[in-house]
Amino acid sequence: MNVDLNRNIFQDTWFLTGFLLAAVFTITILVGPMLAPFDPWDMSFTPISPPCAKHLLGINDGGQDIFSELLFAIRNTVFFGLTSGLVALGVGVIIGLVAGWFGGLIDMILMRLADVLLAIPAIMILILTAALFRPSPFMLSLILAGLMWPTISKTIRAQTLAKRECLHVKAAARIGGGNWYIIRRHLMPEMFPLYLIGFASKTRMAMFMEASLAFLGLFDPTRKSLGLMIAYAVKYYYMDIWWNWLFPPILCLSLLIMTLTFLAISLEKILDPRLKSVELLSG
Amino acid sequence: MNVNSTHQISRRLGLILIFGLAALIMTYLSYSLPRLLPGDFVTAMYAGSDVTLTVDQEAELRAYYTEEAGFCNYLLKLVKLDWGYSYAFLTPVSALFLETFPWTLLLLGTAHIISISIGFIAGVEASWRQGTRLEKGIVGGMTLLEGIPEISTGVILLLIFALKLQWFPAAGAETAYAEVSFWVRVLDIGHHLALPLITLVLAYFPGNFLLARNSMMMIIKAPFITTARAKGLPDRRIRYAHAARNALLPLATRFGLRLAFMITGVLVVERIHSYPGLGTLLFNAIQARDLPVIQAVVLISSLMVLAIILALELVYKIIDPRIEYER
Repeated sequence: MNVDLNRNIFQDTWFLTGFLLAAVFTITILVGPMLAPFDPWDMSFTPISPPCAKHLLGINDGGQDIFSELLFAIRNTVFFGLTSGLVALGVGVIIGLVAGWFGGLIDMILMRLADVLLAIPAIMILILTAALFRPSPFMLSLILAGLMWPTISKTIRAQTLAKRECLHVKAAARIGGGNWYIIRRHLMPEMFPLYLIGFASKTRMAMFMEASLAFLGLFDPTRKSLGLMIAYAVKYYYMDIWWNWLFPPILCLSLLIMTLTFLAISLEKILDPRLKSVELLSG
Repeated sequence: MNVNSTHQISRRLGLILIFGLAALIMTYLSYSLPRLLPGDFVTAMYAGSDVTLTVDQEAELRAYYTEEAGFCNYLLKLVKLDWGYSYAFLTPVSALFLETFPWTLLLLGTAHIISISIGFIAGVEASWRQGTRLEKGIVGGMTLLEGIPEISTGVILLLIFALKLQWFPAAGAETAYAEVSFWVRVLDIGHHLALPLITLVLAYFPGNFLLARNSMMMIIKAPFITTARAKGLPDRRIRYAHAARNALLPLATRFGLRLAFMITGVLVVERIHSYPGLGTLLFNAIQARDLPVIQAVVLISSLMVLAIILALELVYKIIDPRIEYER
């Protein structure tokens, strides 16, 4: 756990690639709306026209500029993933720390709850709520976070159990440090690398879920999303549109997922010598 | 010894309890969520759809949906395969489900068998050649592949092999209305299965490969492998009879957890390749806002996933007697 982050991490090719890609996406998201040459909801152009100097990626079947659409779609997918990943991380870390530190009945109840949630396929709950209530994407990302925290809290709990026996933690308890003081000052900061891994893998999962849900048509059809763009473009796959309409959202989605995969796998490899990266990614 | 076995039994009961609870929660959600909709179920369901109801029909539907007052009644209906009536297809939901489920089972089952067996063997072989240029390249390639979602591989394969090269059909599970002999039909089904199957294998294979390789890397360093070498055993025997069997367990224990997540990919892949399984049924139901179908497919497939994971959890002990059910 006690690895000097700065020294090792940038020598890893995978981490470097992931980091650079993440930087590119961050810039795209921040300045995206300013870069977009047209309003992505403007339907006044000639439908299904090939790219030209004005419309870099051409026009879709609804008469909308594909390049502008793409810039907004990336934002939506990334925001969904980040919200879900952050909330899942927060909930997972707190529950893991509490379960590991207090133990006993609290631990048992929380971990059994985690077991129950782990076994339920998240996509099914999302589909059911999305089909019945048509909630906002933000609501859905929160629901997804509520289903994704167990893997994080299990890792954190295991680490807390180990840390509990450490001398400095025992000393902190001896000098009269309260439960929350020890959790906040000693346990929480020491597990920092685990948060990064958990966050990257959960964000990756959430983005994948967002794209799939959008592809299946469970979001508001006017909301720009990579999944929805692919779903619309696939309907015309037999026409000569694949390289300007179908391929860009596919490439962006793959690059997004790759970014987080690379970050998660390389972080695990550097920080956790037991090489269990795939477990967190898929669990 | 005695204490140990009672501990085991209670552990198993605990597992069954957890999964029973999960199943109950899923069923209860599916029962209660539609009741939280504003108005009643019939209004909510048919308001968003393309059908117009006469007064008689509406009264009949309302009677049908308000009749099952209690949760127990709902459970009973579930067991009796009475899952409601699809208005888009005008058939009982259970009939639709039973018609599409075999295709999904065929697709998902074959994809898992192939990706697990080949992924495992490839992972074991890769870990044995650890550090060579070939191994590094393959591991890199697999990491790259792990980052490509099913949507992307599915669409790209569809474009190349169904549209450009026309080697495989772009839709369906078999040629319609063809009256052919048994073996020709099997070949035809395989031909239609190929593209969605390859998509799923490409999605599942890297995970299995990396997991098997990483577990093997730790096992190879264990003293018993050195002992086996010192005994002068043949290389392949050490690799498989001694080392690889220990790498099998993580693959099995992780399968259950990954399954709950991997279901998502199947839905998308079936839709891309228009494969007539549960995913396409669900997609069509979503498009038509056919709530009874969505509800039933979601519930039944979740219950099936739960059953598979539970069965696996109970079998781990047989695969590996050392496992202590620690969590």
